[in-house]
Amino acid sequence: MDSGGPAQAGRDTRIPGAGYLLVVLLIAFSIFGDGFATLPNILNVGVQSSVLLLLALPMTLIIMTEGLDLSMGAVLSLAGVVLATLLMNGNSLAAAVAAAAGVGLAFGIANGLLVVTLGVPPFVATLGTLGIAQGLALVATGGQSVVGIGDALPALYESRPLGLPFSIAMAAVACLMFGFVVRHTKLGSYVSALGGNREALVLAGVHVNLVHIGVYAGGGLMSGLAALLLTGRINAGHPTAAIGLEFDAIAAVIVGGTSFERGDGTLAGTLIGVLTIGVLKNGLNDLSVSSSLQVASIGVLVIAALVIDRAVAAGRTAGSRA
Amino acid sequence: MRGISKAFPGVRALDEVSLTVDAGTVHVLLGQNGAGKSTLMRILCGAHHPDAGAILIDGRPVRLHSPADARRLGVAVIFQEFSLVPYLNLAQNIFLGRELSGRIPGTIDRRKMHAEARRLLDGLGLDADTRTPAHELGIAQQQVVEIAKALSQNARILVMDEPTAALSDREIARLFERVRALKRDGVGIVYISHRLQEIFEIGDRITVLRDGKNVGSFAVEHLENPENPANLENLIRLMVGRQVTAAYRERFCEAPGETLLEVRDLRTGTGVRAAALDVKAGEIVGLAGLVGAGRSELARAIFGADRVVSGTVRMTGAPLRRGPTGAVRAGVALVPENRKTEGLALMRSVQDNVLTAGLRTLFPTGWYRAARAARAVADVISRLRIATPSPARLVRFLSGGNQQKVVVGKWLTAGSRFFIFDEPTRGIDVGAKAELYGVIGGLVADGAAVLMISSELPEVVAVCDRAYVMRDKTIVGELSRTELTEENILRMAMHHG
Amino acid sequence: MKAVAYRLLAVAVIAMALALTTDAFFTLPNILNILRQASLTFLIASGLTLTILTAGLDLSVGANVGLSACLAATVMKSSGSIALGAATGLAFGALVGVVNGLMVTALRLPPFIATYGMLWTLNGVTYWFMGGETIHGFSPGFRALGSGYWFGVPVPIYVMAAFLAAGGIFTRYTTLGHEVYAIGANREAARLSGIPVRARLNLVYTLSGAMAGLAAIVYLARLNSAEADIGEALTLPAIAAVLIGGTSLFGGVGSLTGTLIGALTLTLVVNGMNLRAVDANWQPLVTGVIVILAVWIDVVTRQRMESRV
Repeated sequence: MDSGGPAQAGRDTRIPGAGYLLVVLLIAFSIFGDGFATLPNILNVGVQSSVLLLLALPMTLIIMTEGLDLSMGAVLSLAGVVLATLLMNGNSLAAAVAAAAGVGLAFGIANGLLVVTLGVPPFVATLGTLGIAQGLALVATGGQSVVGIGDALPALYESRPLGLPFSIAMAAVACLMFGFVVRHTKLGSYVSALGGNREALVLAGVHVNLVHIGVYAGGGLMSGLAALLLTGRINAGHPTAAIGLEFDAIAAVIVGGTSFERGDGTLAGTLIGVLTIGVLKNGLNDLSVSSSLQVASIGVLVIAALVIDRAVAAGRTAGSRA
Repeated sequence: MRGISKAFPGVRALDEVSLTVDAGTVHVLLGQNGAGKSTLMRILCGAHHPDAGAILIDGRPVRLHSPADARRLGVAVIFQEFSLVPYLNLAQNIFLGRELSGRIPGTIDRRKMHAEARRLLDGLGLDADTRTPAHELGIAQQQVVEIAKALSQNARILVMDEPTAALSDREIARLFERVRALKRDGVGIVYISHRLQEIFEIGDRITVLRDGKNVGSFAVEHLENPENPANLENLIRLMVGRQVTAAYRERFCEAPGETLLEVRDLRTGTGVRAAALDVKAGEIVGLAGLVGAGRSELARAIFGADRVVSGTVRMTGAPLRRGPTGAVRAGVALVPENRKTEGLALMRSVQDNVLTAGLRTLFPTGWYRAARAARAVADVISRLRIATPSPARLVRFLSGGNQQKVVVGKWLTAGSRFFIFDEPTRGIDVGAKAELYGVIGGLVADGAAVLMISSELPEVVAVCDRAYVMRDKTIVGELSRTELTEENILRMAMHHG
Repeated sequence: MKAVAYRLLAVAVIAMALALTTDAFFTLPNILNILRQASLTFLIASGLTLTILTAGLDLSVGANVGLSACLAATVMKSSGSIALGAATGLAFGALVGVVNGLMVTALRLPPFIATYGMLWTLNGVTYWFMGGETIHGFSPGFRALGSGYWFGVPVPIYVMAAFLAAGGIFTRYTTLGHEVYAIGANREAARLSGIPVRARLNLVYTLSGAMAGLAAIVYLARLNSAEADIGEALTLPAIAAVLIGGTSLFGGVGSLTGTLIGALTLTLVVNGMNLRAVDANWQPLVTGVIVILAVWIDVVTRQRMESRV
């Protein structure tokens, strides 16, 4: 019997560098911040990160297939407008949420068809759908917020299932569901294979295109569902409410250790990435750093994460070629 | 397989080939590049359909319409490029597409999968944790996982294509242990390789293919001691045979000129070593060897396309600056093996392609003048007799031979003096081949030097003034004009010292 | 050349349609306005064209214009020197280009992701830098650069012509230009032909940034004010212009002339919508659809070319 490979213990999850970064940030902000390390504030971070997490989870899968979805923010805003409008017109919460989810799903499928069936490069395809979603939202609302959405949604949003704020509960459920799908269903393997070795999947007789489109559809669906949280939070539907959120989602995924190549991805890492960004923003806010600099710092963070990703990959191949 | 024939446009790949593989035996398939081994195996695994002939499994004729059919009937192929997904673990890879279902519909039973995978890997003697991501395993272990994958599909016929190409001696020994275990389990194995030592060690039968025909099939035990050179000679003679070739050269180089290229003590980033290699003006020097010997890698390192770890490459006495830019500036040219992906921009015109390498030579100040460019291009087109209705024609519409001429033309405008050709006549029909030999001959007649990599032995013998032979990533010998025969080349290329 | 002719024809058709259906279209002020606007779009799109020619992309051009303009405006106001401010804007734009280039060549990041990260970084810095303020009120001499006329023709058109000429010379009459096309058509073949690929890519991204910087100055002159959000709506139309103009995302095919026609086409469409009092909020939607259509055509053309032997 021989031993397997270079000395590595078998494992299913890795701790990305972001985990350590997160700890460092938590400590730093607790020391230097003012009122950072309080329970209400921590819960606040959780609430504010919940929408981002709903987007970042499917974004992880999309990036694992070497793709990208730039339209999530715009689709989320549009879904929020749809949700708010239906509520304003007296429809039930269930119907409104279904409609919002439907809008998101439609855009997700459109993205999938563009990328998979037509062969359009993902960033251009989703840039285009971004414009379309954005345009629809602006036209429908004339740039104004949709208010007067009734009591059903705020009530739900303020509720505390199991003692947790609703948004955190919803985010947790999403986490569990995505984690379940990735670990316990075939889809989980297929997503990594799409990025890592597509031919292997084709040879195995799998409906590769369907899975690939499905990944984008999932992104759209989650964007639609996230509208529930966003609209609940700002108590209105606004056409540009979530613009740029896809950037945070991409940042979270990259910071969390998912790479753009070969199907290397981790949902746990994305969770840490989301929390890192949430903590970063919250802490910087605490230190009265302007929100625009926060955005800039996230940009730098992404680039740094990409560089580290590249360096690690280079180190790995150099080592294995010894 | 009985009486399998297959023809592709322009070439008869297989001609009434028959092959019998018994359960629990290793049947070695031997032959030069292009003899038909790959085609035969692709037919067996369902990727191609034979024009004539039948395939019988367990005595019953079968129809293989697709790789899925072949897999279902128990045929599995292990290629050189592995089909594992890097970031999935071993169990996921083994069961890709055929995951074991759990109780809740739609879920997979991970525990059962890992247990099954564990059982398969134990049977093959690999104790890597089934949770390890595939990319963390070494090549030898990945191969074992591939075998496990094949076994999990109840493969009864396993085809292994050059399995030992990337393995160390120790890993090869382990692989053979596993192969023997498979034999005991009744699996029939088709083993494609050119490493004689291994063939004699693991093989039960040998079939030699040449030019698409089965020219001989022996039980290994009928052959005597492998050390006996007579057996090696027999096999080589079967592989080589008497072939008609379009290759010829009017006049060989009597008095070579100055040494243009000089390589000393070279070690490349991919592990290729070359102690000494010289090419003089007026010479066509061959670089022979079998697939995997490292010839292309050596050429790329000389050209600067791959990393050089140590050693020197000199052109007319001066060491080359790093990278392809430095090499081209010094007058070195590379006509790559994959002309479509590495030598040409298919979407651009003949004119644009011909000018690519010569822009700095033709226009040293950086200002492009259309008239001068057009003249240079017309000059090249006529000199090489490139068949194209106009210089504006997109290169992708040209025939293979003419595409190759465009690549050569590219270097003419660059004023290169040393040309490296990597399999220059591959995929080119007979008539164009002759033209190409004329072109190469013309180059050296004008004082250039050529290093030609070729797997077609008749071509090497007929065209080159002398040749270096490579094996296992080193240069193992040099053959002068008088020594240059196909048998000698093969002997040097195959002998596992 | 044929492709350019078809596109010009399309422009003519659209113009004709608008002229026939809208009264206000075929008036001199409107035509000049269209040309002015198209020129502005072209300025940004020209540098972008170069990067796309290499099968790359510079998503940060819009944000680059925004920050460069704000920086230039600040320097102009504080130093009182137009020239110094303009030089600052230009230098900064080029600097952004250099960084983009290094990310692509030295760090080997995929261009769309590297420039996307840069986009947001620049965006954030712009908002922070301006702190919600607006800088306005520049000298009439400077404003003429964007809003004025020379011999009856809006000034930006002269700038556009200069860019077009310079770009045309670069792509057609320099070896650098030819090398850029070679890299886009087949990067590895270009490398194996001795072209210094990394150096050329650095150059192209730097040029893209520098041209964004120049465009920023003209924009500043036109708008006569600098705010944090000038650059936001610029990227999508620039990409649309390049794609409509026939430059392929896959590299090696395209021209600046095409981009100009693309800018013209886009501006015509927008102008048509404005004249018919269509809600301005429709514009991003229409641009998005146009981008998708243009890319689709690009992909289909590529596939058709590859399969036809």
